[in-house]
Amino acid sequence: MSIVQFENVSKIYTSGDHVLRALDRVSFTLDEGRFVVILGPSGAGKSTLLNLLGGLDSPSEGTITVCDKDISTLTDNELADYRASTVGFVFQFYNLIPTLTVYENVKLVSEISKDALGAKDMIGKVGLLDHLNNFPAELSGGEQQRISIARALCKNPKILLCDEPTGALDSETGVMVLKLLLEMAKDYGKTIVIVTHNQNIAKMADVVIRVKNGKIRSIEEQENPLSADEVEW
Amino acid sequence: MLFRKLLRTAWSYKAQFISMIIMMTLGIGIFLGFNMEWKTIEYDVGNFFEETKYADYRLYSETGFAKDELEAIASIDGVDAATRYLSVNLELKGDSKKALALDVSENYTVSTITLMEGAEYDETSDGIWLSDKFAKLNGISLGDTLTLEFQGMEIDGEVVGLIKAGEHMICLADSNQVMPDFNTFGYAYISPAKLNAILREKALNTIADELQKAGVPADMVREQAEAMLTDEVMREATDKAFPQINLRSDLEKTELEDAIKEKLGKTLMVVAKEDHTVYKEAMGEATEGKAMGSILPVLFLAIAILTMVTTMHRIATKEKTQIGVLKALGFKNRTVLLHYSLYGLFIGIAGAVLGGVLGYFVCKAVMSENGMMGTYFDMPDWSAATPAFCYPVIAGTVILLALISFLSVRSQLRGTAADALRPYTPKKMKKSFLEKLPLFGKMSFATKWNVRDLMRHKSRFAMTLVGIIGCMILLVGGLGMRDTMAGFLDLLDNGVSHYATKVNLVENTEYENAKQLIADLDGDWESFSGISFGGDTVTLDIVHNDKGRFSVIDENNHEIALRDDGVYLCLRLADRAKIGDSIAFSPYGGEETYRVKVVGYNRSIMTENVTMTDKYADALGIDYSISAIYTDQDSGEIPSSELISGKQDKQQLMDSFSSFVEIMDGMVFILIIAAVVLGIVVLYNLGVMSYVERSRELATLKVLGFRSKKIGQLLISQNIWLTVVGVLLGLPAGLGTLYWMLTALAGEYEMKLMLGPLTYSVSILLTFGVSLLVGWMVARKNKKIDMVEALKNAE
Repeated sequence: MSIVQFENVSKIYTSGDHVLRALDRVSFTLDEGRFVVILGPSGAGKSTLLNLLGGLDSPSEGTITVCDKDISTLTDNELADYRASTVGFVFQFYNLIPTLTVYENVKLVSEISKDALGAKDMIGKVGLLDHLNNFPAELSGGEQQRISIARALCKNPKILLCDEPTGALDSETGVMVLKLLLEMAKDYGKTIVIVTHNQNIAKMADVVIRVKNGKIRSIEEQENPLSADEVEW
Repeated sequence: MLFRKLLRTAWSYKAQFISMIIMMTLGIGIFLGFNMEWKTIEYDVGNFFEETKYADYRLYSETGFAKDELEAIASIDGVDAATRYLSVNLELKGDSKKALALDVSENYTVSTITLMEGAEYDETSDGIWLSDKFAKLNGISLGDTLTLEFQGMEIDGEVVGLIKAGEHMICLADSNQVMPDFNTFGYAYISPAKLNAILREKALNTIADELQKAGVPADMVREQAEAMLTDEVMREATDKAFPQINLRSDLEKTELEDAIKEKLGKTLMVVAKEDHTVYKEAMGEATEGKAMGSILPVLFLAIAILTMVTTMHRIATKEKTQIGVLKALGFKNRTVLLHYSLYGLFIGIAGAVLGGVLGYFVCKAVMSENGMMGTYFDMPDWSAATPAFCYPVIAGTVILLALISFLSVRSQLRGTAADALRPYTPKKMKKSFLEKLPLFGKMSFATKWNVRDLMRHKSRFAMTLVGIIGCMILLVGGLGMRDTMAGFLDLLDNGVSHYATKVNLVENTEYENAKQLIADLDGDWESFSGISFGGDTVTLDIVHNDKGRFSVIDENNHEIALRDDGVYLCLRLADRAKIGDSIAFSPYGGEETYRVKVVGYNRSIMTENVTMTDKYADALGIDYSISAIYTDQDSGEIPSSELISGKQDKQQLMDSFSSFVEIMDGMVFILIIAAVVLGIVVLYNLGVMSYVERSRELATLKVLGFRSKKIGQLLISQNIWLTVVGVLLGLPAGLGTLYWMLTALAGEYEMKLMLGPLTYSVSILLTFGVSLLVGWMVARKNKKIDMVEALKNAE
C-alpha cells in the first residue's frame, strides 16, 4: 500500500534571469513500512526532495500525496500540523535544543503530538536513560543523534525522514546509529527515508532512488538488502 | 575593498547599528544638552549680572537708611560700591490687575539697567525706563505716559527707555508668585531726581492736609506748606524711602556683618546674593541642569555602551568565520582588528555628531528667548556654552566604543587561522540555581526554555531589564512629577488658600494702624519678617487665621489647629529640632533673642519659615508689623489706602502657575518620548539579537511541528516575564528617582509625592505596551524563518 506519491513534482528557484530547477518533474511512489534510501551526489536535489516530503517547503509544480492527503497546497499552519503528526526528522547535525535536557528535548514533542509515545521509554530504547538530565552539549555526537532519533520516534510519526544521519559521525558510531534507526523503525513499523551520498547505506535499503541534476535516474527494489553488520564500511 | 565590506556588513546588521547610533545620539544629545543648558545659564546670567552690576549683598532696614549710614557702609574695606535702593510694587492707574516694581538706584553704581531702546539712563531725568517685555505685552511704546498709584497719590512720567534689569531678571511680584507674568507684572526704573520730586510732592500733600485740618485758607495752604517743607523734613522722608542698600563686595557675609556692626553699632539684615530670589532661582536652575545632566544622560549613555558591548560581542561571534577567512587569506591581525574597530568608531562618530546636533537643540529648547527658560528669565543675550569637560567625555565615549569593538574581535582572533575559521561555540549549558527549586520541574517547556535562555545569555537578560527599568523610571518620574505638581497646585488653591484677595501692606504697618482695615476687609492676616535662626536667614511667620482665610497644614496636608504655646518649623527645617526641643532666634534690626518650644512641623508652600500665632508672639513680646491681609472681597472692591502696597487676587496667582505647568508638561512629554524611544530601541535591538541567536532552535521547533503562533507566544512570553520583573523593579526605582528629582530640582518647595492611579496605570501599561509591541515585531519575523537554511550548518 503506497504511503507517498510524487506526481510531476518540480522545485524551481529563480534569481533574476537565472532559473534553477532543483527538482524537475519527479514522480515516484513509496510503500508503507519500507526502508528507502535517496542517493545522489551533492547538489543532485535529494535534500530538496526530502524537504518537500517533510513539509518544510512547497513544490513549484506537481502534487505530493502522503497518507492519502495532498500536502502540496497546505497552508503554513496545516503544514505545521502535518509535520507534527505525520513525519519525524533526524538531521545530520542533530538539532537538539541546547537549553533543554535530554528528557525535555524528547518530552517536548508531546506538546504538539496527540499520539506521542512515552519520552522515558524512547530514551530507554536508545540506551541513554543515564543521561536524562544532561544537556545536549554534555553528550557525544553519537549520543546526541540517538536522542534525536528518540525525539523523532516519540512523536509516533508515519514516516521517519533522515538527512545524512551519519554524516557528522565517525564510521563506527555511524553504523551503530544506523542499526538503531533500522531496529527502531522496524519495531514501531515506520517507513524510513534516508537521504545520503553514502553508497554503503544504500546496500541496506529496500528501495534505492538515485537522483542526479534534479531528476530521478533510477528506482531500484532490492530483494535482499544487507544488514549493517554485513556492509563493508 | 575592506571598506566596502565594512559598509555591507554594517547594512546587514542595520537594526543593531541604527539602534546603537540612536542610543548614542540620545545619550550624547541629552548629556550635552543638559550640560550646555546649565553652562549657558551660568554664562549668560553671569554676563548679564556683571553688565547690570547685580548686587552681591542687600542690607535691609525697616526704618530706612540715612545718607551717612550709606557712606559709613561704602567706606568699609572690601566694599567696592554701594547705593541706597528702593523697589516698591505699584499698581497701574485704572487697572488694578496690572502692577510694576518701581526701582531707584540712588548712586547708579550698583543694580543698574541695560538699555534695549530709547534714551540712556540720566539721573536727573523725569522719565521712566520700563521693562521692554512688559511694554510689548501691554502695548506701551516710547513716548507714552505711564501713571502709577503710590500710597494714595499718582506718579506719572513719559516712557523714555525700554530696558532689562539684572535685579528683575526673574520678575516676580512676591514670594507667592512662581513664574513671571509680564502681562500683569513688570518693572520700571526712575531717577533719584524724579523720586525726590515725588517725595517732595507727597510731603507737601501731607503738610497741606494738616494745614487744611488746622483751618488754613485753601489759597494759602500750598504756599505755607512749601515754606514748612524744610531740608530736614525732606531728608527724613528720603531716608525713610530707602529701606535697602545694595552693594558690591567680595567680603564674606560674616565679615561684612561684623564690619557693619562696627561701623553702625547695630545688626542689620544682610542678604547675600545667594539668598536673593533672582540669583538663587537662576543658580537653582543651573543646579537642576547639572542634576539633569548627570542622571538622565548617564542612564542613556550607560545603556548605549552596555548595548554596544552585548551587540558587538554578538556581531563578532557571528562574524567569526569571516574573521577566519580574512586571516586565512593572509590579512594581518592588525588589519582585521582595525577593520572591525571601525564599526565601533563609526557608531561613535555618528552618535557624537548627531548627539552634538541634538544637544544643541535640547539646550536651545530650554535656553533661548522662545524656549522654556524664555518665560522665566528676562535677559538680553542668549548664547550656547559648552562645559569644557564635555569634549573629553564625548571623545572618550567614541574611543570607548572603538575599544569595545577592538576587544570583541580580538577574542575571536586568538589562535591559528584554522581556529578562527571554526564557527563560534556558545557556552555550554549549565544548570542554574533555579533548577534546584522543586517548582522548576513542574514548569512548562516554554517557561524552562525561556528561563534557561536567559541564564545562558545573562548580559542580554540584564540589558533588557535595564531597558525596561529605564523606561519605567522615565515614565513614573515624568508623569509622577506632573501629578505631584498638580497636587501641589490643588493644595495651594483649595487646601491652603481660602481667600479671594491678598492685600499687601506697606512696610512697618503696625497692628493698631491696620486694625480698621482688617475689620473692613473681614480678613485674616500674616506678618513676615526676617530672623536669624542657627546662622541662617529664615522667615518668621506670625499668623492670625481665626476666620479660616488660609490654613497652615501638616506634612500629610491636613490643617493644623495652631497652638498658642510654641512654634512650628517648616519641613525643610525639621532636622534642626525635634518636637519638644527649644530653639532660639533673633529678629533682624534688634538685639533680642527669643527662646521658644517647637510644638510641631508644618508644610510651608514657598518660604523656609518658623510659624507662630499672633497670641504667642504677643505673649513673647515680639515687635512685628502686618504684612498681608487675606480677604473674601474681590480686589476691585477694595478701596485704595495709604496702607496698601498692592493687591493680588488668588486666581491671578494660580494663573501665574500656568506657564510653569506648560514647562512641566513639555518636560513630561520629552520624558515620555524618551521612555518610549529607549524602550523600543533597547528591546528591539536585544529582541532581534535574541531571535537571531535562537533562530536555529526556533527552526527546529518549526520542523518538529510547532505552529508559528505558538513559537511567537514563546518569544513574547519571555518579553512579558522580563517586563513583569522590570516593572516590579522599575516602579520603586522610578519613585526613588522622582523623590530625588523633587528634592534636587524643586527643593525650594515642600512638595509631597502625589501619584494618581492613572500615573501608575499609564506607566505600567505603556511599558507593557512597548514591550509587547517590540515582542510582536520580533515574533513576526518568526513566520518568515527559513527552516531549511537555518538547519543547514553545525552549531
